[in-house]
Amino acid sequence: MAASIWVKCKQAALLPVICLLLNSCTDNTADNGIQAETAPAAEQPKFEVLTVEIKDMKFVPDSITVKKGDEVVFVNRDIVTHCVTEEKSKAWTSGMILAGESYIWKATESAAYICAIHKVMKGKIVVQ
Amino acid sequence: MKHTILKCLGIAFVVSLGIAPAKAQNTLTDPEIAHVAVTANSIDIGYAEIAKEKSKDADVLNFAKAMASDHKAVIDQAVALVTKLHVTPADNGVSKKMLADAEKTKKMLRSKSGKAFDKAYIDNEVAYHKAVIAAVETVLIPQSHNAELKDLLQKVAPTLKTHLEHAEMVQSNFNGHGSKHMGKM
Repeated sequence: MAASIWVKCKQAALLPVICLLLNSCTDNTADNGIQAETAPAAEQPKFEVLTVEIKDMKFVPDSITVKKGDEVVFVNRDIVTHCVTEEKSKAWTSGMILAGESYIWKATESAAYICAIHKVMKGKIVVQ
Repeated sequence: MKHTILKCLGIAFVVSLGIAPAKAQNTLTDPEIAHVAVTANSIDIGYAEIAKEKSKDADVLNFAKAMASDHKAVIDQAVALVTKLHVTPADNGVSKKMLADAEKTKKMLRSKSGKAFDKAYIDNEVAYHKAVIAAVETVLIPQSHNAELKDLLQKVAPTLKTHLEHAEMVQSNFNGHGSKHMGKM
């Protein structure tokens, strides 16, 4: 396995919902509507979650630019199984992504990738 | 095998121009279309099973595994749909002709071995997928009445086109036009 950190998640599509819930739980507005005082937070890098859909036997979009640390969620909306595999040296692979399932890749380095099941399906991630 | 499905549908097909049929002589009912769709997928699974038994080529085996898996997924979707709709797929002349032709093709494939088998299998996959795509797009989708059946067939079309593209890529390697770059998964 390469340095890339891979996390498989069947319900990745729920991530935005979970994020919203967490956000609502951490709202710093008190019940009485008065804004609570908070200590200035340490500056942390803001990571984004971006989605690549796998539909109609294509990666959509087939090219995506992200920042290091961002997460790319591959959502299989086709009726057949796909995978995401680094093209050049097969340095990493998602394994099978069944129909309706998702896969999360944490961006570490740029990569060209394919679906190793359907080798004409290709995509690219540019990590800035 | 080339254009067998279209021939058995009785369609005047202008092959040289690759244009759609001017007139479909046979009209299929939705239960018959469902049967034809399942039959077409089953036939390709049958070819894939032969390839998995006979081939030792990594690209051919990878392709055959994908065909077996993908066409089974399509059949599963079709079965789920007809079950939901309480429709029983109806056997028909088109399905019968396809199966009869498939038996001849399987006999031909079983008679070959080594590189000759690999080439025959991939050549047949290219021809078969071209014929199936044409049948789906110009006959099965237009003749489907049920919206969900039509929608399923429309969803299947891109899968078939990717199969064709994949088969042509493997075929080009056999014909010496491509680079042998596809390794094991």
